[in-house]
Order: sequence, then C-alpha cells, then structure tokens
Amino acid sequence: MTILENAQKILEQINETKDNFQLALKSVKSKNDLESVRLMFLSKKGEIQRLFSVLGKLGPTDRPVVGAELNAFRAAAQSDFELVQQSLLTAEKIKDFDVTLPGRMPIVGSLHPLFQVLDEIKIIFTEMGFRVEQGPEIESDFYNFEALNIPEYHPSRDMQDTFYLPDGYVLRTHTSPVQIRTMENQKPPVRMIAPGKCFRKDTPDATHSPIFHQVEGLCVDKGVSFADLKGIVQAFAQKLFGQEMRVRFRPSFFPFTEPSAEYDFSCIFCKGNGCKVCKKTGWLEISGAGMVDPAVFGFVNYDPDVYSGYAFGMGVERIAMLKYGIHDIRIFYENDTRFLNQF
Amino acid sequence: MKVTLNWLKDFVDISYSPDQLAQKLTMAGLEVEDYFAVNRSFKGVKIGKIIDCTPIEDTDHLTSCLVDIGDGRVNVVCGAPNTKKGLVAPIALVGARLEKVEITSRRIKGIESEGMLCSEVELGLSERAEELMELPSDTPVGLDFERFLGEPDYVFDVFITPNRADCQSVIGIARVIASISGRQLRRPPVPWREQDISGNNPVQVIIKNSNRCARYSGRFIENIRIKASPFWLVERLFNVGVRSINNVVDITNYIMMETGQPLHAFDYKLLQGDKIIVRTALKDERFTTLDEKEHILNEHALLICDTVKPVALAGVMGGLNSEVQPETSTVFLESAYFEPVGIRKTAKELDIFTESSRRFERGVDPNGTVYAMNRAAQMMIDLADGHIIGKAVDNYARKINPVNIDLNIERVNRLLGTKRSMQDIAKILTSIEIDVVKSNHDMLSVNVPTFRPDITRPVDLIEEVAINLGYDYIPTNTVACINQLQTPNLKDKFRDFMRGLLVALGLRETVSINLMPDKYAEYFLPEKTGLVQIINPLSADLAALRPDIMSSLLTIISYNRNRQNDTCRFFQIGNVAWKTEAYVEKTHVAGILAGKRTESTWFGKEETFDFYDIKGLAMSLLGKLGIVDLTLKKNTVGFWDSSSVAVFSGKEYLGCMGKLNDQACRLAKIKINDVFAFNFDFDQLFRFARIDKKFESISKYPSVPFDLAIVVDNDVPVAQIEKFIWSAAGSDLIQVKIFDYYTGDQIGAGKKSIGFSLTFSSKERTLDESSVEQSIKNILAHLNRDCGAELRPR
Repeated sequence: MTILENAQKILEQINETKDNFQLALKSVKSKNDLESVRLMFLSKKGEIQRLFSVLGKLGPTDRPVVGAELNAFRAAAQSDFELVQQSLLTAEKIKDFDVTLPGRMPIVGSLHPLFQVLDEIKIIFTEMGFRVEQGPEIESDFYNFEALNIPEYHPSRDMQDTFYLPDGYVLRTHTSPVQIRTMENQKPPVRMIAPGKCFRKDTPDATHSPIFHQVEGLCVDKGVSFADLKGIVQAFAQKLFGQEMRVRFRPSFFPFTEPSAEYDFSCIFCKGNGCKVCKKTGWLEISGAGMVDPAVFGFVNYDPDVYSGYAFGMGVERIAMLKYGIHDIRIFYENDTRFLNQF
Repeated sequence: MKVTLNWLKDFVDISYSPDQLAQKLTMAGLEVEDYFAVNRSFKGVKIGKIIDCTPIEDTDHLTSCLVDIGDGRVNVVCGAPNTKKGLVAPIALVGARLEKVEITSRRIKGIESEGMLCSEVELGLSERAEELMELPSDTPVGLDFERFLGEPDYVFDVFITPNRADCQSVIGIARVIASISGRQLRRPPVPWREQDISGNNPVQVIIKNSNRCARYSGRFIENIRIKASPFWLVERLFNVGVRSINNVVDITNYIMMETGQPLHAFDYKLLQGDKIIVRTALKDERFTTLDEKEHILNEHALLICDTVKPVALAGVMGGLNSEVQPETSTVFLESAYFEPVGIRKTAKELDIFTESSRRFERGVDPNGTVYAMNRAAQMMIDLADGHIIGKAVDNYARKINPVNIDLNIERVNRLLGTKRSMQDIAKILTSIEIDVVKSNHDMLSVNVPTFRPDITRPVDLIEEVAINLGYDYIPTNTVACINQLQTPNLKDKFRDFMRGLLVALGLRETVSINLMPDKYAEYFLPEKTGLVQIINPLSADLAALRPDIMSSLLTIISYNRNRQNDTCRFFQIGNVAWKTEAYVEKTHVAGILAGKRTESTWFGKEETFDFYDIKGLAMSLLGKLGIVDLTLKKNTVGFWDSSSVAVFSGKEYLGCMGKLNDQACRLAKIKINDVFAFNFDFDQLFRFARIDKKFESISKYPSVPFDLAIVVDNDVPVAQIEKFIWSAAGSDLIQVKIFDYYTGDQIGAGKKSIGFSLTFSSKERTLDESSVEQSIKNILAHLNRDCGAELRPR
C-alpha cells in the first residue's frame, strides 16, 4: 500500500464521515439526539478525532493537504452543530412564547367622519375641474340674501330660519354667498365648490342641528344648460356611491335659481326597490339645484344674455349619515372617542 | 297646504290612484309631504231615528231615547242638548269601536242603555262636540253610517314653495292636475248675473293708497241666519285643518281654501257711515284684532275703516269691533287685492301670520276677487238663508293686466339643453293657461294670467316649459369643457396637509357647534374685544359665537371625561369670532391633550401628559410645516396657565401652547386640570410655512458620536446652552440631543446636570478623533466662559 493510497483512503473516509455527520445532524429531534451526535463525531473519542489520529501515518507531502481538509471539516461540523443546538434552544423558548399578548400599539389619530366624507366630495369635484373656494361664516345680509335674489320682505326668507347679528349681519345660512364673492372677483368661466359650516335656527333633534356643513357648487360659462347640471349631479352620485346610482330631478323653488330642482339619489339601501329608509319610494332626498337666476348675474355684473350657469348644493351631514348608517346628527358634534375611534 | 281628493274632484276628473296622484304632484313641483285616507272605519254605527224621548228624573240633561235602527229598536241614554223626537243621527250599537271608546251595554240611572247616539267629535269627523250629529230627516234609517258617508276621502299635505301663489288653493292644485293629465278644469259658475241684481250698493269704497290696495270688491247679504254649518262643510274644513265656527265664517274660509282668495265678513250693523276707506295706519295708531289682541301700528300697516274707525287690519285679520256675531243678520263681504310686500311687512312686524296674510304676501289673483266673492255669496244664500241686496262694490283702483313676455325658442333650448320645436313649447304653455298671442319664426309672444304673479321674465317661462316637459325628459350631459389653467386653492390644500400631519401626530379630528353661552364665551375673549352675540338665539346656551377654539376643545374633553373616555388627544381647525369696530373672524388650529400619555400595560406603567408632550407635538407640527426661527416666551394671559408660552416665528406671533388654567377647566366642568394644548392662528401658519422642500445631500462618511455631561446653574435655560454649543462646535456638528437631565443631591443645590449627545459628521471627509476632540474642547471652554458650565465629574 502506497502513501498516496493511504491519503486517498483517509480523504474518502473524511467524505464518508461528512455525509454521516450531516445525516445524523438532520435527524436530531431532541437534546439527547444532539448529545449522541456530539459524542459520535465531535467528542475526544469521536469520529473526527479518530481521523486526526491517523494523520500521523501519512507522509510529509500528503499530511498538510489532508490535514487542511480535516480541519475545515471539523470547523464546519462544529458550526453546523452549534446552529442546530441554537435552533433547539430557540424552539424550547418559543414553546413558552405567548404570541397572543397584545402588541405595543402606536398612537394613531383619525379624521372626523364628517370631514372624511367632505374630503371625498372635494376630491370628486376637484377632479372634475372645480376649484375649492372659502368664505366667512359671518356674512352681510347682502351676500347671504340680497345678492342671491332674496329680498328682505319676501316669503322666501322663511325658507331658512336665520340667526341675526347686529348691524345687518347674519350667520350664513348656506355657503351660497361664496358664489357671489367668487363671481365678483372672477370673470367666467367659473367652476367652483364652496364647502363650509352653515347656521340655521333649527332646534336640535335627531335630524336638525343649528350648525351643519354644506357644499355648494357653481359653474358659469357660455352655453351651460340644465342638461349639464343633470350630468354633473349624475357623475357625482356615481363617483360617491357607485355606478348603479340613479338620480331624479323634481321641480322646486329657490330664489337664486330658475328653473330650480330638488334632486334625489336612488336609495343606497334597497337599490331603489323601496325600504324603510326611503319610505318605500326608492329615492333619497339629497338637496337642491338649478340654473342660476339672471337676477343673481345682475348683482355680479355678468351678462345673462351671454352666460348661463348651474348651481347645486348638498348637506355633508346628510350624506355622511346615509353612508355610515348614522341616525342622529348630534353625534357628529359630541366628539365621543368611542365614536371617533370607529372611523 | 292640505287638500282632499274629493274636493279636487269637484274641479277636475282624476283617474289616478292616491299613490299616483302623490307621485304626479311631487314631480310637478308640488311636493306631497304626506297623504292618507280619512279614517272611515265605522263598523257597528248605523243611522238611527229617535222615536221617543223622555227626560230622566233627577238629572239636568240626560234623556232616555227609543231609537229606530231599521231592523229593530234600542233604548239609549243620551246627554246631548239637541236630543229630540224625530232627530236622525248616527248611533253606535253595542260592540262598535270608535276612536276613543268601545260601546258596551250599560245601566245609567237605572235605565238600560244599549248604544250611543253620536256627535261629530265622537266619530272623529270634526271638533264639533256637545250636539248630536244631525242628519237630514230623509236619511234612510238603519243604513250603515259608512255607506251614508260615501266614498272615502284622502287628504294630501302639499308643500307649496313661496313662488307658487296660484297653488294655495284647491282650484290651483286642480289646475295643475288638469294640465298634467290633459283634462279640463271645471269652475262652478255663479248662477246669477250682476246686471240682474237690482238696487244700488249702500256704501262707497275709497282707496287712499292704490299702490297698497289695487282692488277692493264687496257685497251685501242680508237676512242671514247664523247657525252651525252642514256636516259636509265641517268635515271638509276639518280635513284640511280648519276649525268650524259658524256657517258664515266657515263659508269665507271654505272659499278661501277653494279659490285662494281670502275673504272677510263684517257685521254690517257694526260699520258706521256709508263709506269703506282703505288707508295706511298712523304712527302708533292702536287697533284690536278679533283675537282680542291690541296692536300698536306704524305707517306700514294698511287699515280698512268705516267713516269713524278702523275695522280690519287689511289682509291680516279682522277687527274685534266688527266681527260676525251669533245675532248678525247683514254681512258685508270683502274680497280685495292687497300688495304682497306691504302685507308681509305688517305680518312680520306684528308677528301675526294668518291663512289670509300667507296668501296675500305671495300674491292672490287681482282679477279673481269678484268670482270668489260671488261664490261665497251664493253659499250664504244656500246655507245661511241669505239674500243679496244691491250690486257689488268694486273699486279697481289700479288695474293689473296680464304680463306680456316674448320668448325666444332658441334660448329655451339653450338653457335646458333640449331640442324642442316652437309648436311643442307653445302647446306646453297653453296647457297651463298661458295665452300664446303671437308667434313668428323663433319667437313666441305670450300673456301670463294674473294668477301667476311669479312669471314675469322669459326665464320664468323656461322653467314652466321644463316642469311641464318633465325634468326626466331633459337630457343628461356628462361631457364638460373645463379651463385647464385653473390653479388649486393653496390655502385649502394647506389646511388638508396640516390635518394629515395632525392625524399622523396621533390626534383625532373634531368638529363643534361653535355657539355657546355668553358667560362661558366671555372668559375666552381676547382683550379689548366684544362677543359676537346672536339677536335671536335658539337658547341662552347657543347665544354667542366662540371667540377661541379652546372653548370648544375644553367642552369636548369634559364630555369625554364624563363618559370615562379618559385619554383625550384631539385637534380642531375652525373659525372663531369677536367684535371690535367690525366683526373679526379668524381660523384657529388647535390640539389638546388630557389624561394619560400611556396607559398601564403589560410592558410598562401608565404615564400622564405634561408640558413636554404638547411642546413636542406643536414643535413637530411647526417643523413639518417648515416654520423656522421659533422663539418661546412665557405667557400668562387669558385662559393659559402661568407655565404656558407664546410662540413666535421671528417677531411674528403664531399662537400659544402649554397648560390651561384651572379657571378655564372649572368653567368647562373639567374636574382635574391635566389639560395641555396648543393653539395657532391658521393664517399665520399659512404665511410662514415653507412646504416646498429642497433636498440636502447626506454625508457619505461615517459620523462620530460624542456624549457630554455638564453641570450648570439652574437658571440657565437649556436652549441657551444648546445655542452656545452650536456656535462653539464648528461646522461638523450636525445634531444635538439631550439624553439626560438631572437636579438633586448628587450635584448640589441650585445646579442641574444635562447630558448632551452630540453627533459630528462631514460631507468631505472621515472625521479624525483629534478634530472632534478639538471641537469638544472649544465647546467646554465656551460654555464655561459664557454660562459657568463645568464638565460633570464621573
């Protein structure tokens, strides 16, 4: 037997031991198994040590080659062994680890549900080219009434119960005054919405509140028609509540629009088949709209022979109540954390 | 306004079901708010005739009646004053259920009573009590009362918008039904002609102010017998919400409901002289209306006077001094046209709104006064034995003619987005009694009847076309042309951006009713300003506009605390207002913290909020908004606690933050004051915010940390020390954090220890130890010189 043959043989034995070691390690299921692997391969009487003991029998050329191979094997084996040992330890710990303990919750804020709905309305209209405009809550009689074709001694004043302030001012009863302010400062085309807080002298109950939020829309240009108004309301309904929404226009009266309309959405609860919420009509009353009355244009120096426009309004609370199934408007203003938490 | 189906059917044939009619009217602009069948369930109620009637001894009003009920006779005890032999009345037999009672067999004063003779109120037909309902003597005895009443009626409650003066009457609504159903409106003719009436009228009507009273018609009816109205009249009035008084008053009300023309009946004997004068009141003139209230008038009021005194407040209410009495025998019937604005002013100023004033202020038909007056006169002949004397008085001082309007067809189609022919449009207008007098290529010339005072301009006609075409038949156009250069509203975007930041900072958005009691609001008012107070508040609790948003937030904290919602983290953006010479309206942005920062958990103890929580929040907000050069100054004004601070950017005031004072919490009914808040002026934040960010490059080289603990006198503010550190460190210092803060025994009285964690970094090179050490040396020397700081001994 030559030395070379011996080296070759030892190398084969090393490889064989490697395979055996890996097999044994893979089948380890407990600490006891692991201990037998250690005894069999890594202990002073183990296989690896036994291989080292035959190294001395090799010649000087082969010895370092095989030695290096054996050293590498021992290191790798030790490291593999420790990995398995670690995972066994971890597994033992995990056995007692209770994942059902609550996590550390970060503190999160929230937007008010009313404003979440308002935000949605704003996005829908700004995407359709409407600019958001703002105005004061304390308004002069002129902007809140006169310029909207609601003269002082006209029965249409009764349509809105108003809070009056000294010196000819009122708390705005609608955001329509923003229309006037915008038209005063801008020539057509105008495409705007005015969201904001409004005030009416309504005794608080489940569906009335002395304050509420309105979004008023206005579009003025050459050739704007009632058909366009029907289009914008239809588009809004579908974007807010889905493609299957239908819209109904009914004749009505507002001093600042002519023709005037009330618009209804098909009932979102029964899909228009008739239910308790829509009082079996299949329709939900939403708000008013119409073509801007030429008298209003007179107040802002727009030529009614050249321009026409439409205006529409909506109550944010009304829409939010429908959307979330809220039955009492007062809950919006209480700001109970148990309420705000839900949104 | 309420109308009944059967009443409408007097004027137009209706083949719609009640459901359909409600729907049709609503779609025609007359919103039906409610409709219901008149209760007509009268099982066990029959027509009975009293065939014998004897008073019961020892009672002052009870009688024992033997009643023929067709297939038999029953005995009943009855207490009504009009009980008499031969009277025909409804009788509820044993077992019948009326609205309030179930009829059983009873013994009254020892006499068997097997039923109840009924009054209208017991049957739920009217409010007329006391007397038995007296039916015509030829009514078949034994007939079921339900069959006697005939077809059940329906009541429709219709919301009439202020423009539709013409629909404040049964005929007006019938006219709309006629036009939507393509049928003819029937108006009952008056069965006599004026020229056939002999004799002159005994008074002259003088109208002093024809602008206020364009027309005054009147008529005399003598021989009147004031008595109860027949059942059908009482029932109709009852169904539309009018109480029966007596035949003459009921007739004037009935014709008003029917035609929309308010009428007034004077007792002629109480009018003095031979003149009726229509004039405006004198300043402070006194007048007592028939509801026995005395009013002090001004020049806006219009009065109807005889030769010596006012007898009616024109268009609003008659006078107590001339009202129809039980013994009235001659009636002067007034049917006039008063100008709407004047009536409106008077009604508002005196706060009397009547069925009459409501109609005049919207506008009645000036050419309908005579018809309504004559209809009423005929009813007085029929139902009150009246007799007409003399020709009618009719002073038409200022003739009101139909308005002529030219309508351009192209304009109709342009505004509606339709393509209707001139013939279509003419047909629609004709169907609502608008006369087309001329047409040439694209123009229609029309006359609008005077019962439609709301139609004065082409656009009003366009609305009529739209309504009668049906809004459903106008196309829907979803394609729009928009101006792409329109810029967004940056302020509104900024507001939404800030709301997003505040939510990210863990706060919940709130919204408040910004009305509050004066007393509460006053506490939050800025110096030298006044409250904005509502002249006509709903209640004292909602009387003033909030002068500061903190007033609302404190209320929210209080509300939640009372419901055991202990941890509160809220924000609100909203308007506040006060008064100086003018009204001032501002927008506030405020955040508030109260209660626990963290609750007790399995990994940590509970902690409560303190000043540094609110400071952290406010500074994060301002930092994210890019507002720089911030300084804080101690602030003790108003509702803030003495530990709170005012925040400035440069010299500009932004707002306050810190703790609220105990008084404010007490006012808001918050028991424990652990409330911290910030409150900024929205416009100031918008002004100084720099949201357009520029990128700053990040160093490629490792940074070097260095911890430095110093001891310094207690009165040296940390911010001051930080400032010194920055100025002494050189350009490589990039961050200063405070990892420790200590006062106590270890360092001695009057001293504090602060641990700074410094980070050095350069964008050009890797820093070597020596350059960092040099910086530290500089810092220490500087701190020692400028504020006496020493390195803290280990």
